[in-house]
Amino acid sequence: MSDETTVQDEASGGLKDFAGKYLTFALGHEEYGIGILKVREIIGLMEITAVPQTPNFVKGVINLRGRVIPVLELRTKFGMSPQEYNDRTCIIVVEVNSASSTIQVGVLVDSVSEVLNILEEELEESPSFGTTQMDTDCILGMGKVKGEVKILLDVDHVVGTGLLEQLAEI
Amino acid sequence: MVNEQKTIMQLLDDLAVQVLIVEPGDLSAVGELLEILELLLGHEGIHENQHFLAMVDALKKVFEGMIMGEYSDSQECFDGLIQSVTIMQEVERCDESNMSRFCGFLQAAGYEIDAQVFGVSSDGGDDSDGSDVDTRFLADPEMLTAFIEESAEHLAAIEDCVLELETNPTDEEMINSIFRSFHTIKGIAGCTDLDDIAHLAHTTENLLDEVRNGRHEMNSEAIDIALEVGDRIGKMVGVVKAVFEKGVDEYKKIEIDDLVTKVNHILTGDVEEKTLEEIVSDGGVEDEETLEEETGKLDLGQDGDIPDFLQDADLVAGFVSEAFEHLEAIEVNVLELEQAPDDIDIINNIFRPFHTVKGVSGFLNLTHINKLAHTTENLLDDVRNNKIAMNADIIDIVLGVGDFLRSMVQNISDMLEQGPDAYQFFDISEWVAKVVAVQAGQSLVDVGVPAGESQPSPVTPEKVVPEEKVSPEEKTSNTIKPQNEAPKPTPVASAIAAPKNVSSATPPARSRSRKAKISASIKVDVEKLDGLVNAVGELVIMQAMVRQNPLITSVSDPRINKDFSQLSRITTELQKTAMSMRMVPIRQTFQKMTRLVRDLSKKSGKTVDLVMEGEETEIDRNMVDSIYDPLVHMMRNSVDHGVQVSADREAVGKPGKGTVKLAAYHKGGNIIIEIHDDGQGLNTAKIKSKALERGLIAEGDHPSDHEINNMIFMPGFSTADQITDVSGRGVGMDVVKKGVEKLRGKVELISTPGEGTQFLMRLPLTLAIIDGIIVRVGQERYIIPTIAIQESMRPRKEQYKTVQGKGEILMARDMLIPVIRLYHVFGVEDGVEEITEGIVVVVENEGRQRALLVDELLGKQEVVIKSLGGYLTDIKGVAGGTILSDGRVGLILDLAGLISTSSDTGSPRVGYEDV
Repeated sequence: MSDETTVQDEASGGLKDFAGKYLTFALGHEEYGIGILKVREIIGLMEITAVPQTPNFVKGVINLRGRVIPVLELRTKFGMSPQEYNDRTCIIVVEVNSASSTIQVGVLVDSVSEVLNILEEELEESPSFGTTQMDTDCILGMGKVKGEVKILLDVDHVVGTGLLEQLAEI
Repeated sequence: MVNEQKTIMQLLDDLAVQVLIVEPGDLSAVGELLEILELLLGHEGIHENQHFLAMVDALKKVFEGMIMGEYSDSQECFDGLIQSVTIMQEVERCDESNMSRFCGFLQAAGYEIDAQVFGVSSDGGDDSDGSDVDTRFLADPEMLTAFIEESAEHLAAIEDCVLELETNPTDEEMINSIFRSFHTIKGIAGCTDLDDIAHLAHTTENLLDEVRNGRHEMNSEAIDIALEVGDRIGKMVGVVKAVFEKGVDEYKKIEIDDLVTKVNHILTGDVEEKTLEEIVSDGGVEDEETLEEETGKLDLGQDGDIPDFLQDADLVAGFVSEAFEHLEAIEVNVLELEQAPDDIDIINNIFRPFHTVKGVSGFLNLTHINKLAHTTENLLDDVRNNKIAMNADIIDIVLGVGDFLRSMVQNISDMLEQGPDAYQFFDISEWVAKVVAVQAGQSLVDVGVPAGESQPSPVTPEKVVPEEKVSPEEKTSNTIKPQNEAPKPTPVASAIAAPKNVSSATPPARSRSRKAKISASIKVDVEKLDGLVNAVGELVIMQAMVRQNPLITSVSDPRINKDFSQLSRITTELQKTAMSMRMVPIRQTFQKMTRLVRDLSKKSGKTVDLVMEGEETEIDRNMVDSIYDPLVHMMRNSVDHGVQVSADREAVGKPGKGTVKLAAYHKGGNIIIEIHDDGQGLNTAKIKSKALERGLIAEGDHPSDHEINNMIFMPGFSTADQITDVSGRGVGMDVVKKGVEKLRGKVELISTPGEGTQFLMRLPLTLAIIDGIIVRVGQERYIIPTIAIQESMRPRKEQYKTVQGKGEILMARDMLIPVIRLYHVFGVEDGVEEITEGIVVVVENEGRQRALLVDELLGKQEVVIKSLGGYLTDIKGVAGGTILSDGRVGLILDLAGLISTSSDTGSPRVGYEDV
């Protein structure tokens, strides 16, 4: 794996830092990508234990081979309408950096697509949508591959700091 | 002969004392030193030992030079003198030639040694090496094993790094790494009396230091020599190992001079004179070069502990943890000694840790610690040799020195963590003076037992007694080790029974089999251990899941059943072992109490005996720290307020000496810690009036005495100014209760007026496992810690009341208990809403009772507590998760959070509102 793929470390390093391999997945009709080095594993849907008094996008916790890890539903997080789970629904286990260590978090997505190598010239800044409801902070950039658009996510931002802040607000 | 020896010994001791107290620039004191030397020279016994004579001679020249003003007097130089005098003392005692070390010390301290004398010394050194086999290193099997093991590792590391360097000669990390390895080898070899190895490693280290500082290039020549040195040391270690395992016959002398010359040649080849001087003066090997570094680097008035020891962070960290252990051992033994001042074993047990601390600190360049430990060691040595009678002063001073050393070591530990900024200056001179004063004040009283060769001392001075890698069995059986874990349930009784006669009590330690069983123990990262315990926990659950699988249960094959029960035996065993790895005896915590009781009773003017039982009882390592504070509170209460002063005690017919009993034992899957004093018991009447005053009980109530006494645990109830004067109890007892409850334990109290008070701390065996009741609410299952549950019932309609239509209350056993609807708080959709159709579980936390409404109870189970991972940690009402037997995650309720959430806010639902 090339060094280029340490994408999420610095958001300030310009677009070329974000080129590299991404695991892409679908949410509704949109395609998203997560830097491959952040992905720990992909598991099928399993029973999730709800945890009270957490934001609504925290679906709960699962038993990952003896470890208890939280699971977030990206649809809810991004304000999309929920969808019935089916056999393509799966959990991507990602590793994110917290203050002291890395922690594992499951991300619930509609389906996993493929691993894509996104080149520098295929990257584009994330467009601005004005100050409307969109939170573009968690988007690294957009990748245009074979006529399709992949939204590249900053996982640390999506599930890490963002969640921590929200939990602190409770 | 004995007489002569004694006199020489006495003179040497005088010399040692005088050297210690002499101040830089104090010429008359130096004059006295000279006088002692003259006396020594005039002694007829001295001519029996050439080396010794030469040493005395050399020393005399040094002193003469001092008087002539040839040397700049500084404390560091005197430190060198002190070291050399120590060697002289040893030489006489052990009759071994330590000439080169002696000269090394003096030179390191900046004194010129007559070339001729030096010649004598090196000849002498060779003599002893050549003629009779130098097997001093065998004296200490444990240390030696450690050395053999470690040096192998380091040599392998050196080789790897050197080869790496060959391809990349500028890699500083590699050079540093090689340097450290050689440095470590030098250190341990020095401690193990393997002078040749130490010398060779040291010389090479010098070369690498030059490389490191950019004064020498890491060329192929240097690489070759480093490899060659590595091989040579490997060979020498091989011989040592052979001798150690098969006997002295295997001994082979391996020359190192050629390599040393080669290394020096490389060094001198392109380095200026300064280095050359260094090399010459390094004729004395082992650890004295540290002193030389000091003189070079240190500001005279400054503390010596600050230098760049941080480069040896690993070594220093090792020293810190060891030193703490040793200081603890010292404290424990001193306290025992107080009970039995004549027990030579105990004195030895104090002497040895000091000795070790001295040795290692000296090697690490921690001069102040070294000096203080050394001075104290001298004092103890005198005590050991019956030159000074043990008395209370000595005990106090040794305890004081121990505390002082501890704060110094603590400071070093802080520096390791926070960097050099954390440095604090410790002025040891006051303590050194005190120790010397005690020593000098009493040393004239000659008790009469000669301390010469006629009486073998159990430990060769100047040898570091290793502490590491020894199992508890070995510790207790091995008399040459510091017995910091002496298993003495009643220290008083057993210590008094110990023999008083010095010579018979001295164990024949040296001759004991050096092929002692070397018990293997390793230090393991706590994280790894937790990982193992977790994995084993999962294994047990998985096994249960497989076993309960309908397909498996339907099979009636006896073979399968047999295999399964075998499997479950193995997993159970595995789980037990894994759990036991985290358990440590409670002894250490108890021993700290010994000191506490001593200090408290002294302060309060009471005489109190502390009796301990069950120090072997094992407790989860993670709990050790947490139980300390509650324990201290309770001990303080027992001594301060429980036990009366002697006069009062005698007035009611009790012995004047109070007794506090501290006991630990297992009972019903819990650990019970019991603190029992034979004082006056609680003043129930007083507590009751206080409770009435504060409205805790109503006027017409008639609570039982037990209930009243338990009020001392109420938060805020028991501050000192409220009830101290009369019954006293209760300074911070609510803190105790909270602390214990945090550990999911309970405190109980039994007070018998006039006879004493008993506290029982009931603690779970481990923090990792909790005993819980699984309850169902709708589709969700939660675990309620069993220890908090008081009762559970299906409520009848008439028990259920509402307040203002909103607040819900349940009447049970004449108590009004607020109801918490779990489904409501946790937002479960399909829970039972009609209270008479569900079950209420009455729980108690910090004195508050609540009735939790659940659908049904599913059973009781021990569950392994797991965090919910990362940031889902601070959820109110949820303490953590666990894997249930079906593999799903169940949530463990946090009652404190649950109760406070539901009472702090108007509405019980404090859910998160949607983003």
